[in-house]
Amino acid sequence: MRYPKRIGLLATAVMMVATTVVACGGDEGGNASAPKAPADIPALTKDPLTLSFIWFDWPPAKALEAFANAEYTKERSNVTVKVNVVPNANWHDAMFTQFAARKTDFDIPILDSQHIGEAVTNGNILDITDFVKKNIDVSAYNPYLLAAYGQFPQAETGQRDENASLYGLPLLGDTWTMIYRKDLIGDTPPATWDEMIAAAQKCQTENPGVSGLAFHQANGSDAAAVTYNTVNGVYGGNLWDSKARKIEGVINDAAGQEAMDVLVNKMKPLTAAGSGNWFIDEVNAAVAQGKACIAFNWIAASGGLLDPEQSTLGKTREEILGKLGFATLPKQKTDLVPLGGMGMHVSAYSSPEKQAEALNFMKWFEQADIQKKWAAAGGVPARTDALSSPEFLNAGPFNKVYADSVSRMRDMWNVPEYARLIDIENTNVNAALNGAKPPKDALNDIAKEQQAVLDSAGKKGGGGL
Amino acid sequence: MSDPVSLTDHPVQEASSTPPAPGRSRHLSDRWLTVAFISPALLLLLAMSVFPLLWALYLSFTDYSATRGGPATFVWFENFTAILTSAQVHLRAFTTLLYVVGAVTLQTVLGFSIAYLISRRVRGRGVLTTLFLVPMMLSPVVVGLFWRFMLDAQFGVINSMLGSIGLGQVEWLTKQNTALISLIVVDTWQWTPFIMLIALAGLTAVPKYLYEAASIDRASEWFRFRTITLPLVWPLLLIAVLFRAIEAFRLFDLVYILTSGGPGVSTETLSFHVYKVAFLGFNTGTASAYGILMVLIVIVLAQLYMRYLNKLKED
Repeated sequence: MRYPKRIGLLATAVMMVATTVVACGGDEGGNASAPKAPADIPALTKDPLTLSFIWFDWPPAKALEAFANAEYTKERSNVTVKVNVVPNANWHDAMFTQFAARKTDFDIPILDSQHIGEAVTNGNILDITDFVKKNIDVSAYNPYLLAAYGQFPQAETGQRDENASLYGLPLLGDTWTMIYRKDLIGDTPPATWDEMIAAAQKCQTENPGVSGLAFHQANGSDAAAVTYNTVNGVYGGNLWDSKARKIEGVINDAAGQEAMDVLVNKMKPLTAAGSGNWFIDEVNAAVAQGKACIAFNWIAASGGLLDPEQSTLGKTREEILGKLGFATLPKQKTDLVPLGGMGMHVSAYSSPEKQAEALNFMKWFEQADIQKKWAAAGGVPARTDALSSPEFLNAGPFNKVYADSVSRMRDMWNVPEYARLIDIENTNVNAALNGAKPPKDALNDIAKEQQAVLDSAGKKGGGGL
Repeated sequence: MSDPVSLTDHPVQEASSTPPAPGRSRHLSDRWLTVAFISPALLLLLAMSVFPLLWALYLSFTDYSATRGGPATFVWFENFTAILTSAQVHLRAFTTLLYVVGAVTLQTVLGFSIAYLISRRVRGRGVLTTLFLVPMMLSPVVVGLFWRFMLDAQFGVINSMLGSIGLGQVEWLTKQNTALISLIVVDTWQWTPFIMLIALAGLTAVPKYLYEAASIDRASEWFRFRTITLPLVWPLLLIAVLFRAIEAFRLFDLVYILTSGGPGVSTETLSFHVYKVAFLGFNTGTASAYGILMVLIVIVLAQLYMRYLNKLKED
């Protein structure tokens, strides 16, 4: 009897066709640009609703969930806020693989400022320009912060373009702070980069077992790249010429080479052996265990340093503060500091009722009194009035560092190719720091490979190699 | 005594000619039942394995990007040409080759040695085997994480032990010459038991009378090992090597956890590179071609290997 065989073949064919249709059916996005959010917040649901964020796993994520559930629910009692976290290294992938599926289990993605370009060009997040115009007092912000966390195209430094579209609003401001041992190098922090290196050298020599410096060197996320970019900025270098889309000859010019030389030949020898894969947690651990004279870390991740249970520097917060000082980064040829922090955006694939709730949350969050409460809860606000408020300045010894750094910030390239550009820089700087590549070759390779990525638009085949 | 083979020979044909049992629908023959039972698994296999493979094959000829969306434009063999001529890919291929050869060789030598020693032991053999199998039962991510802590240059127990016997600190995961070795060591720690298990099965199956005959002939231990043990276990061992080589070829998790491919890209394997191509720039077409090429390499090498194995069996 031959029917079963035929039916089996037929079933197989039907299955293949059906699966193909399913697989192709979701691809409605095309080369979409970001869809627009309404200017007015639509009617909100009274049914129970969970508003989901996605962020990476670090203390501010926990602080946000606790803060939002304590405060936002006073206004919207039917809403529960859930902040889903992933490891830092998976953060970009976790968001963009869901964007690729055109379906997200989060309503508010918290994007790094440089992710905005990729999300906007792919149509993954809502254009909230009209919503912001109608609901947010933009004059309450430092224009650069508003631009950094929401605008696209975005200038890495300088003024906000009033005519550019906005795709997000600030959630958490951040920059690097210099953490120094007051008991080892004195109460006055080094003012210049050269002085900082000299102080670290002296401290290391005088205190066996304590390394002069601790900073990010890992090749995951943006760790090593931010370190180089910071030194590059301080020594007067530039990452690229954004108007001409030129990297070759810009990042590896004389200033860039000097920055790489300082980083690899003057700073790296002052770090602990095996610190070539250190990122946020490892630097904090070295400081908390009294193993570093001077360290650099993101302000938003520094709160744990004052916890006596996590530190060997003292049994009380005051005792620890007697030994640890926090200062803005030293200057050299310029006073630039890296822009950190993130904005909140609205997923284009959330349900309309959740998008409405997300817009309502953003409007609520950006109010002056809520920003001050967020500051008191451990967050770093972006509104100017909140930044100068006692609630913020008294919440942590590093908060003044942030307030003083705002006018000095510089971001990286905010382009759709960001993920590849940062990987190229990260791996090459990491290679130079760990002796796998001469510093000059590493910098020239960064310039060459990044330029190739920018120039590869329109190239047929082999993209991404 | 009846021949037992005749009872089970060609069971399917026998079954198909059997009329339906009383009470069963006239149309529900054994053949139909077979199809009905196999279909769910077959459909699942088609949907979860065959279709994605064919879809990846289709995408490999296009410039499709999962995040950018839009129609996939055919670029035909451009992706394959770019991959095969890329210096970046050659570098990762060389790293992968070093890793596969290093890890599988070490695991084979150690696995067989342990199996040989255990096979000679009568008491506690079961307990010993179970203990040796523990690493294999752990998730590679968990293994990667605790080895990462143990190999930490500052706080790790390995350097602490080296320090206590007067040896200096080793930067296991951050130096070019030690990072790949560390990966090989960790993979060996986890997967040597696999080789050991298969070698042990082979060693247990060697007929005892061969050794008895050799003893009567006063054959030395080395002679017995060389002429009885090794030739009989060798084919089984080679199959274990094949499995391990295929597994090692697509190593991703340990690299991701232990070194992130660093320092620089010096421990980036082919799989890790595919991941970056696929998810950093979402160059889905290129990543699909890259994956297809890797599958082809494994299939071709496995075929050549199997031919050698068959030849060995015939000899």
